Amino acid sequence: MNVSTSALKPDQSVAALAITGLIALSLFLQHEFSLKQSILFLIGIGLGISLFHALFGFTGGWRRMIRERRSADVRAQILLLAVTSFLFFPVLGHVFTGVEAHGAVAQVGVSVLVGAFLFGIGMQLGGGCGSGTLFTVGWGQVDMLITLAFFIIGATLGSAHLHWWTALPGVGKVSLIDNYGWLPALALQVVVFTGLYILARTLEQQRHGNVKSLLSGAPQSSISERLIHGPWPLWWGVTGLAFFNLLTLLVAGHPWSITFAFSLWGAKIWSALGGDVLAWPYWSAGYPARALSHSVLADTTSLMDFGIMSGALLAAALAGKFAPESVLKWKRVATAVIGGLLLGYGARLAFGCNIGGMLAGIASGSLHGWLWLVAGFTGGITGLYLKVLFHIDRPFGRS
Amino acid sequence: MKKKYNRLIMGSAIGLAAIAVAIDHTRHRLPDAESPKTSVEQSDSSEESPCSLDESPCSLDESPCSL
Repeated sequence: MNVSTSALKPDQSVAALAITGLIALSLFLQHEFSLKQSILFLIGIGLGISLFHALFGFTGGWRRMIRERRSADVRAQILLLAVTSFLFFPVLGHVFTGVEAHGAVAQVGVSVLVGAFLFGIGMQLGGGCGSGTLFTVGWGQVDMLITLAFFIIGATLGSAHLHWWTALPGVGKVSLIDNYGWLPALALQVVVFTGLYILARTLEQQRHGNVKSLLSGAPQSSISERLIHGPWPLWWGVTGLAFFNLLTLLVAGHPWSITFAFSLWGAKIWSALGGDVLAWPYWSAGYPARALSHSVLADTTSLMDFGIMSGALLAAALAGKFAPESVLKWKRVATAVIGGLLLGYGARLAFGCNIGGMLAGIASGSLHGWLWLVAGFTGGITGLYLKVLFHIDRPFGRS
Repeated sequence: MKKKYNRLIMGSAIGLAAIAVAIDHTRHRLPDAESPKTSVEQSDSSEESPCSLDESPCSLDESPCSL
């Protein structure tokens, strides 16, 4: 990603078009469905703005940690996991009576292990994760359109095969909150977060003799100007993402999720082309069947995905960075295609991407989220070595 | 790639996506023209369904996150 932190002139025409479109769509959603749908779209916009202004990406952060031992992004991700857990656990532990919310608890098994591993490889090849792909598309990066298109194809294929994968060995759903209670479970997770944070910090200190602060990129302009035009320090991004994720839990009744929508879009397109997706077990019953038989605007994950892309587009326009110049080479096209397919297929097998599977899983106290983290990170390391092997990236150790 | 071509591609993608969403939304809201009786029934259910879809993922313990 070519990112300049220098002050650029806001792209007023794109910003004006984006604001008009966002207002029109949120009013339409309220008219056609309910205020809830409109609010979820607005929450998606908030997430998109937070992701863009803080440049909060999982893929680049893992890459910098693995290749360069620079840990600021990874430490910000650990903070995001910790803060979101602090916000979610009391809600999911039913501390607040009258709040109906369900965590992302999925079965632990081969499906998550393989899916997250493939997703981790796909992240490094495709150049983005679930959230990263959406906000970079909103940013106007053309190569990420290719990744997104094949992400959708992969997620659709994954939905066709999921029943086979879920039949493989597993231990079922394991919720730390149900097993230990929300407070002991939270304490247990905090211990793990602290250990991971110290490990990341130590690795950077050993390699470089110093540790980059999460507060770097401290405000040079006023807070209000920076809030609107960016860039944000990483901890602003952590705050924004955790806050909007909590709002999602309270309004939608489930944590922030991304990739179910990709499978849905693919299934709808395949269905429109004459394909019989109802023959696939995944789409034949329950929530997926109902989502398939209704407007895409009735699906909360689709709405929020539209919101994230729109929010990132608006933020990019306000920062004067919409549609950056890029060179699209065949190798990049190939990695976007392969990476996108792995991202989509892996996300479906792992019951979500780095957001719906890992972040939502861990913040819900589900063991599958932790398995996702380990398998996904291992996949990330593999993906980076594959890039070196195929001469897409320089060998390790060379600056 | 020049910036204006990037904008053209992004604009086209947004336009195409908007058309696809509009077609999908309209497709699910229009009553079936084949049978008047069926069309009334479907119209009634489509009035109710977005709300029930709204409420169902969590009340049925079926969040899209764990699907």
